[in-house]
Amino acid sequence: MAEPTAGTPEPISRLIEAFHRLPGIGPKSAQRLAYHVLRAPEQEAEALANALRDVKQRIKFCSRCCNITESDPCSYCLDVKRDGSVICVVEQALDILALERAGGFRGRYHVLHGVLNPMDGIGPEHLRLRELLQRLQSGEVQEIIMATNPSLEGEATAMYVSRLVPPGVRVTRLARGLPSGADLEYTDDLTLARALEGRQAIEP
Amino acid sequence: MSDRPRVYKTEGLVLRRRNLGEADSIFTVFSDREGKFDAIARGVRKARSRMRGHLEPLTRSHLMLARGRTLDVFTQAETINAYRNIREDLERTALALYCAELVDRFTIEHAENPGLYDLLLSVLDALEAGAPPHIVRYFEMQLLSLTGYQLQLDVCASCEARLPEAEALLAPSAGGLVCANCRAASGGGRILNVRAIKVLRFARGAEIEAFASLRVDDDLAHMLRGALSDVLHHIAEAEVRSDRYVDEVARLSRVQTTEAPPTVQ
Repeated sequence: MAEPTAGTPEPISRLIEAFHRLPGIGPKSAQRLAYHVLRAPEQEAEALANALRDVKQRIKFCSRCCNITESDPCSYCLDVKRDGSVICVVEQALDILALERAGGFRGRYHVLHGVLNPMDGIGPEHLRLRELLQRLQSGEVQEIIMATNPSLEGEATAMYVSRLVPPGVRVTRLARGLPSGADLEYTDDLTLARALEGRQAIEP
Repeated sequence: MSDRPRVYKTEGLVLRRRNLGEADSIFTVFSDREGKFDAIARGVRKARSRMRGHLEPLTRSHLMLARGRTLDVFTQAETINAYRNIREDLERTALALYCAELVDRFTIEHAENPGLYDLLLSVLDALEAGAPPHIVRYFEMQLLSLTGYQLQLDVCASCEARLPEAEALLAPSAGGLVCANCRAASGGGRILNVRAIKVLRFARGAEIEAFASLRVDDDLAHMLRGALSDVLHHIAEAEVRSDRYVDEVARLSRVQTTEAPPTVQ
């Protein structure tokens, strides 16, 4: 913790301490940020305070897909043009933005808010799995796309979920292969092996 | 400054990863010559990183590192074995992670233990080749020996009396089996039957292939797992985190084989 220097007024030392709790902020940075806020115009400081309050008060989890949203259900769940028979399962809400940017997916989402990481004590009970299984009960969903990261933890999570899903629902996994701009020379064997297996014909 | 070379090579198995900042990660590696150490891989979370796939947890890789002020920095990495069969199987991933966590818990940084390194690789190779889950008991017994905690299974761990050919209490705080007289003062433990005791004794000296081919039924497997788990918790003075995950995954596969046969599409 940042040691309050003797003589620092209490509100400032409190602000320094609050900044210091943020990830990646050391004691010096915390002091700099605090004094920046102190010198900044009142509206700027107020805007920061309001933004902080709003993010905690107005943002909640979508009761269907667990995405972070201002209105429940979230916009993806309300969008009638989306295909409710396919659910794309992602690790975190930010992944939805990435998939939307890529375009091409018109189904619905489900956010797990994490991946299995047994060595750090993150087990199935820490993920939004129950909510996912509930969504499968209606029978509307026919396919689940596991879009967790292609890491050890992401793969384990995908396999774990595939075991829980009731029969009749198809579970698919995002393809694995080479990212654009990759160098074959430096690509790991597993990725290369899977890229070979997933090769596709070039349409003339 | 030390006179150690600025850049060095080693081979090792990646035990775990922690993310650092925007695109870096810190990896814990257990290596043949340097023991366990943490090192930073810069930019490894970017899609174009050249080391990305070579530093996944549970990957055995050739590594090149540069000495850093606090942590060393990976400069090159190339996979030796990615253990694909383990990675593509939920149970085996869980078991391998459990072994990796035990190595992490039972070693200190920069203390080489080539025996333990070979043991870890041999168990991963066995799991990769399809060895049964009880191979992990072999790993645990050997790990205890290699880290200085070998269990006393031949005579009573308290009074050194000869043990009769009968069930006995495995007492973690005594460091082995205790005779009936010492049982009350041993601080508790689990009763092992004769067969379980024999399996544990066998695990100390046997070759891994011989141990893998042992027939272990569910009850025996359960007894051995519980007993060794108690010992390991006692020594590590903490819960082995992936322990519960192993149980959870095992439970899941039992449910599936007995209750709901998944329909193949």
